[in-house]
Amino acid sequence: MDELEAIKVTFFQECEELLADLEGGLLAMQEGAGDLETVNAVFRAVHSIKGGAGAFGLEPLVRFAHVFETLLDAVRGGSVPNTTDLAAVLLRASDILADHVSAARGLGDVDMAASAAMAVELAHCTDPSSAPAPVAAAPVVEDFAPAPAVVAADDAMDDDDLGFIFVPQTITVEAQAADAELESSNTWTVSIRPKSDLYRKANETALLLRELNRLGPIKATLDDSALPALEDLDPEAAYVTWTVTVDTDQDEAAIREVFEFVDGDCELEITRGAGPVADPMASLLTVADAPIVVELGAPAPAVVEAVAPPPVVEAAPVAPAPAPVAAAPAAPAAPAQKATPVEVPGPGQSVIRVDPERIDRLIDLVGELVINQAMLAQRVGEYGIAPSSNLAMGLDELEQLTREIQDSVMAIRAQPVKSVFQRMPRLVREVANMTHKQARLVMDGENTEVDKTVIERLSDPITHMLRNAIDHGLESPEERKAAGKNPEGVVRLAALHRSGRIVIEVSDDGKGINRERVFSIAVKKGLIAADTQLTDEEIDNLIFLPGFSTADKISDVSGRGVGMDVVKRSVQALGGRISIASRPGLGSTFTLSLPLTLAVLDGMVVDVAGETLVVPLAAIVESLRPKPEEVRPLGPVGSVLAVRDSFVPLIDVGLTLGYRDQSPHPTDGVVLLVEGEDGSRAALVADAIHGQRQVVIKSLEQNYQQVEGVAAATILGDGRVALILDVDATIAMRRREGGAPRPTEPSLIAAE
Amino acid sequence: MAAIALPENLDLKAAAPLKAALIAHRGAPIEIQADEVRRLGGLCLQVLLAARKAWSRDGQDFSIKGPSEAFVETTRLFGAAGVLLSAEFQGAES
Repeated sequence: MDELEAIKVTFFQECEELLADLEGGLLAMQEGAGDLETVNAVFRAVHSIKGGAGAFGLEPLVRFAHVFETLLDAVRGGSVPNTTDLAAVLLRASDILADHVSAARGLGDVDMAASAAMAVELAHCTDPSSAPAPVAAAPVVEDFAPAPAVVAADDAMDDDDLGFIFVPQTITVEAQAADAELESSNTWTVSIRPKSDLYRKANETALLLRELNRLGPIKATLDDSALPALEDLDPEAAYVTWTVTVDTDQDEAAIREVFEFVDGDCELEITRGAGPVADPMASLLTVADAPIVVELGAPAPAVVEAVAPPPVVEAAPVAPAPAPVAAAPAAPAAPAQKATPVEVPGPGQSVIRVDPERIDRLIDLVGELVINQAMLAQRVGEYGIAPSSNLAMGLDELEQLTREIQDSVMAIRAQPVKSVFQRMPRLVREVANMTHKQARLVMDGENTEVDKTVIERLSDPITHMLRNAIDHGLESPEERKAAGKNPEGVVRLAALHRSGRIVIEVSDDGKGINRERVFSIAVKKGLIAADTQLTDEEIDNLIFLPGFSTADKISDVSGRGVGMDVVKRSVQALGGRISIASRPGLGSTFTLSLPLTLAVLDGMVVDVAGETLVVPLAAIVESLRPKPEEVRPLGPVGSVLAVRDSFVPLIDVGLTLGYRDQSPHPTDGVVLLVEGEDGSRAALVADAIHGQRQVVIKSLEQNYQQVEGVAAATILGDGRVALILDVDATIAMRRREGGAPRPTEPSLIAAE
Repeated sequence: MAAIALPENLDLKAAAPLKAALIAHRGAPIEIQADEVRRLGGLCLQVLLAARKAWSRDGQDFSIKGPSEAFVETTRLFGAAGVLLSAEFQGAES
């Protein structure tokens, strides 16, 4: 990697953070935090992105960031009122800025039409009257006129959909005639000669013409004299030029501003007056008899508008009509709802960037250290050295230190879930848009820290759960109104630590799970028998069954025949659990609980047929020594254990893993009552328990290969390798072999 | 009579395929369906203009059928309605 590339990589890393800061700041602005500090932080983020992008010549990114920054500067300077509606526009702009950054990085594409439209929207928010570049201008009194806010609000409402869709435009002949008769004192002639680069950079003459048409009625005359014959035509080169006359009360700068984004890619000549129109279409043959001059009606805001009535789906309350906003300029910030403090790091905050691989290596080494220390302690024990001796005490201190080092190193890799959460507001906006629902995302506990290995895999389940919550959970605004609820649904995403695990909750205030429907679908799909008696909770958990999807028709948003079972499986793969609670009419809550790290594990060390195994402590409910009368034979080889008022299948781990052919009687050993991720219980038979220990997880897949029934391996204090038991797989293996009785019905009681 | 249908999006990426499609039908009357078009860019406009000329040089019929609102609006904006569209869609000409 050459030096420039390396710097570029750093730049993109910074961009990630800056974009996160930007979104954080904007969300706070949307919540009503109108303080200068927040606006400044937001401005700084965009400015830094632009600066870096400029250094690398990432032109589309620079251009977009520039318009964005200009608007923010105006907000900062007070010439554009800082309203929550504006924040909504800015949020959408930040989404597009993020797309630009990804595109510059070579990941994905930017919808250039949407980008150009957004740039136009931003420019109009900056200065609706399209006055000269507002960057340096000190706030002018006129700027405080209500006009800017009205336009900004209009834009925010109308241009909700960023798709480049035309809206049918009615051009009344009378109006045109009237226009034509009107002797305009202010006619400009604009000669536009696009260069091939203009198109290559995904700009569009049509857009420029349309923009000009916003300033006043235009007459465009096309000159195709340079157009080669069809067979010689380079489809991506620019040949045609235009001469446009504009009747407008705006000045030259306003016209020039239309071409701001194509600066350099388009030869431009602006002259006052009607100007000589170049012989149009001279080269066209007979067909070109009719003059090809076109007049368009009054300036229409036709740049980007949705055909469908745009559902308002901003993640914050948007004023129902522009009217209230028109009054807003007097108060720069929207009525403070809840001023959230913004955590945007100032410029002075120092952060060290470290290659994650180095940290992983450090964690590995510390793992070795822990093992080594345990081995040392064991040796010392073997030599019969008294626990009160200096050596033993020194070893104790060493153990303490090792633990501390381990914790600190793990803390380096721990990251706040913020990095995942921050992608969600956009997701919610987009999903709500797609499903025509109104949703507001409330996030809580963004700073909860989890190991990086877990964070990376949190994104998918959260995304899926949020989509599910909006698509299936929330009702349409009409239904909500009819039910006496706020048309805007609230989706809550929260993270918290609970007993050594991280808990992620996704809840909505929607209609809750339709249990009757869920039950009938499950019966229809053959997942359960029609006469099965299930509790409400069990019915709710049916949606986690493979092959279950409540959507009658598969939507783009959630459900392609794969449903929550996929989420459940990916969560289980992380050693986590998922459960659901739902109240009809009030909403549902999905709770996901995951281990904080995938690097260490608390386990119970047991002996099975002379081998040492580690059983994850999280799976163990209790351990006991069975009495003979509690063991009941069932079937040819299997047996069950009576635990209080229920029977659980007895599974001999040694037999299942192939350590031995003949099971000893369960009463000779100890029984670990475990609970699988699906809530099903089993009694694992082991020969002896050695005790609890925190073990360092060593991947079997990376060092050897996957072994069924074994989750991973670890190195014990005596230097021996011990396998970590995969409790779920062990139960499944035993069930499959038919040695142990199946539970009578699929057990649906989720854990937690 | 050959017929081709224009795609929804006539942007930069559509220009080369459009040219190829038109050249393939050279020498016979052509009917171009423009009812799907939602976006017409300058490059595709150039291809259509060049094709229009080529067909009239060949003395063959060249017609654009059922243009969508967007197609009509953008063609007018470009000042190319007179060349590309039939009289009913040319709108108010000065």
